[in-house]
Amino acid sequence: MRLIARFAKDRGTHFDVITVYNGKTDVQQCDKNKPLIESLTKKYPAAIWFERKMFDDFGIQVEGAFDTRPLLHHERFPKNIHPMLKNFNDKSLDLVEPTAYPYERINGDGIFEVAVGPIHAGIIESGHFQFSQAGEDILHLEVRHFYKYRGIEKLLENKTLDEAKAIIERISGNESVAYQIAFFEITAQAWHVEIPIHIRKRNALLLELQRVISHLTSLGFIPNDAGFEAALAICSKLSEAARRVMQRITGHRFGFAAIGFEIKEIDIEDFSLYLDSLQKDINWFEDWITDIPSLWDRFDNTGKISLAKAIKYSTVGVVARASGVTQDTRDNQFYIDYGFEMANEKSLDVAARFKVRISEVKNSIVMMRNFLDNTNEKVIFKSLHDGEYNSFVESSLGELFMHVQIKDSLIERFFVRDPSFVNWQALHTMMDGNIIADFPLINKSCDLSYAGNDL
Amino acid sequence: MIKFWQRRFKSNVLTENLEFDDQLKHIKKELKESIHIKFAGSLAIRMVDSGSCNACEAECNALDNPYYDLHRLGIYFVASPRHADVILLSGVITLNMLSHAQDAYEQMGSPKWLITLGDCPVGDGVFKEHFAYKANAKEYFKVDFHIAGCPPNPESIIRGLLDFIKTI
Repeated sequence: MRLIARFAKDRGTHFDVITVYNGKTDVQQCDKNKPLIESLTKKYPAAIWFERKMFDDFGIQVEGAFDTRPLLHHERFPKNIHPMLKNFNDKSLDLVEPTAYPYERINGDGIFEVAVGPIHAGIIESGHFQFSQAGEDILHLEVRHFYKYRGIEKLLENKTLDEAKAIIERISGNESVAYQIAFFEITAQAWHVEIPIHIRKRNALLLELQRVISHLTSLGFIPNDAGFEAALAICSKLSEAARRVMQRITGHRFGFAAIGFEIKEIDIEDFSLYLDSLQKDINWFEDWITDIPSLWDRFDNTGKISLAKAIKYSTVGVVARASGVTQDTRDNQFYIDYGFEMANEKSLDVAARFKVRISEVKNSIVMMRNFLDNTNEKVIFKSLHDGEYNSFVESSLGELFMHVQIKDSLIERFFVRDPSFVNWQALHTMMDGNIIADFPLINKSCDLSYAGNDL
Repeated sequence: MIKFWQRRFKSNVLTENLEFDDQLKHIKKELKESIHIKFAGSLAIRMVDSGSCNACEAECNALDNPYYDLHRLGIYFVASPRHADVILLSGVITLNMLSHAQDAYEQMGSPKWLITLGDCPVGDGVFKEHFAYKANAKEYFKVDFHIAGCPPNPESIIRGLLDFIKTI
């Protein structure tokens, strides 16, 4: 069984700790006066961040956890507050005197540490990487994030679904369409509306377009991090062209506010022409880049994560599929009918993740052609139903899981697990036998989100 | 690589926004002296993300693609605040990033400027005051200029930067 998410809810009299696996959900009640749960970290390493987050959010203690350091609340964050408790209503907090954060350390003769971030050298999001080094060799990496912790879960509480929409669009800009679709599906469930096929097709089309933009960007930046800038020049041109198509068909370069029950008309001829040119470009790109041996020298055998570890760490998305895991939220009849074929590589390394991206772009082109449809029919709404709703969407990074509880037509609890949240926790396992100069390459090959992870 | 060059010679120059070039020529003429004194002929920018959704960063990355090619205007992004004339601050200012963003600003040599990028850091966006972040950069930094948008597209960023140069 794969661990998907683990999160808590303040039910007033007690806490509910909810653990979501694929195919099964466990709910465990937990006394508010003595909030204590058992750790799952021995079986599921990905539970570590979920459990550390649960303590910061609710004050729930975890028995048997080997890591109890604060996760969301950094050095200068006020102590002893648990913002996800229903009785926490502060609108503003002030910084306090810093308390040191004990990093994971490897001790020994000549071993030194390299601290990178939170502000990086390039135009990247904020996060921290702490390396233990023996010369060039990476002995250990600790990924420390949540610098961008915006308290989104709390921010969305007591908001109407309409009010929440604009915020959810902006949780992670590069995955905006995926977040919108996840929330849209939840909204439809709450309204007891069956999503009509033409809307599902349009959503799927936009999701694939966003995947294409994201993959093309990565296909440029991965070789760039190996010192091969020509690929960045080519791919940044292609991704800009794709972004402009997104602008043309949704009115926004990132597709903000693109998902809803209204369908905008697409110029099918124009879009098909674009797909033709993209197809030609990606085929040319693949043919060209496969032929650069010095580049594959850097890609091959770099940043490996074994199939066993990819499964153990509950990885999703491109990272999982490059290690032989056959997991994709789109692996269902709807997508297969429209031409979905799961990309899968088995070489476990940067090269595998690069190739998965190329084949996914090609598959997205096929699917987008099939998803083209300008049908527009009115959807009839009856009434909004309180309840707890889940949705799964395959964003460009991997499986996105969203849970929303609605009470009195307002959001009572919002939880989302970005694909990055589990993949970040597996990143350190890719460092074995690699040198620090290859870290940017490995990191970029996974293309993880900080904003979606930190919330 | 021969395939690359074959392709390259067949395709034209993609770079757009010729009107900006004209505008820049004009501005350059006007501000020649002050740019020479203040920026030594080029403007170095340090990007600091203090809690954005990453869309603003994606648009800044797009500035270097062949369509916009910001470098040709003498404006480029640098790796350290110590090399920068300007900090471009994006996103709301989270409690966890506030002190780091202030650190980065302090590390810059004078004269220095801070430009807020996008609606978030000035509280114009969907992220209003909340316990985990500050939505108004003005309370914590001396803000010299603002580029609006959610996110501002590459064209508005270039236009904004040129407008900023005019204000100095």
